Amino acid sequence: MNLSDVKSGQTAPAPQVGALATLLPRSAIILELKSRNKEGVIQELVQPLVSTGLVKDESGLIAAILSRENLESTGIGLGVAIPHARTDTVTTLSLAFGRSEAGVDFASLDGKPCHLVFLIAAPEGRKRDYISVLAKLSSLLRRETVRDRLARAQTPEEVSAVLEQFDAASGR
Amino acid sequence: MLFVEDTPASPYAADWAIKLSQRLSARVFALGVIPVRTTAVEENTWRRLYEVEDAAFEQNVRVSLLLETGDPLQRLCALSASYQIELLVVSADTRLRTAELIRHSPGPVVFVKPPQEESQS
Repeated sequence: MNLSDVKSGQTAPAPQVGALATLLPRSAIILELKSRNKEGVIQELVQPLVSTGLVKDESGLIAAILSRENLESTGIGLGVAIPHARTDTVTTLSLAFGRSEAGVDFASLDGKPCHLVFLIAAPEGRKRDYISVLAKLSSLLRRETVRDRLARAQTPEEVSAVLEQFDAASGR
Repeated sequence: MLFVEDTPASPYAADWAIKLSQRLSARVFALGVIPVRTTAVEENTWRRLYEVEDAAFEQNVRVSLLLETGDPLQRLCALSASYQIELLVVSADTRLRTAELIRHSPGPVVFVKPPQEESQS
């Protein structure tokens, strides 16, 4: 926790990160995940980031994400999980998205399976941006309209469009 | 249960709770409560919760994040009871009504203030 930010009694202003949709390559949008467990889902979501050259060490990234999963649940409830890691196995802040009709157990506190999974990977030095993206996504995904639109999207382009629309609206 | 707020001492309460949990191999439930849902307030609350999560992860402490809408005092006490929380950690400059918190809390409450040199500066 960065205590230097609060010594003056003020919290540092939120950093400006790029629009969420720009962090999510179209090839990293999987409309129907094949895996039925969280380890498989994480591997499936990391794979397209490897293919696009954003990951330097695939097994290192998977291990970093799973080590967090072993310590905490990244299922935020309402059928949503956001597995994440800060690690230098990635070259830039990146997202991947997967959808599972059957649902995947991410040990969410509400006990419900997750149908929408966003994976976030960021280099060690991008802590503030990484936390901002986590916060922005968590906030957006608590909105029923956003979850419904993501659940009904027929193409990766539609998924990107949903993020663009609601991300822009939240910034107004 | 750590109550996370937008107050100067709240990060110190988080540090204290994480260190205690590390010594006791306990789990931290970090709770943020927003009275009314607005995107900016909700996003800022998530940001503070994820900062706690990141710090806990670095100390190898298990953490669960909770964001609730409603009356902060009521939600804190209700969730502490439902999760059978053993200790409530709150910053000394909390905006909660402390007398009511103590009266309604299902367990002991610790109020954490910044270290002496910080509070004097």
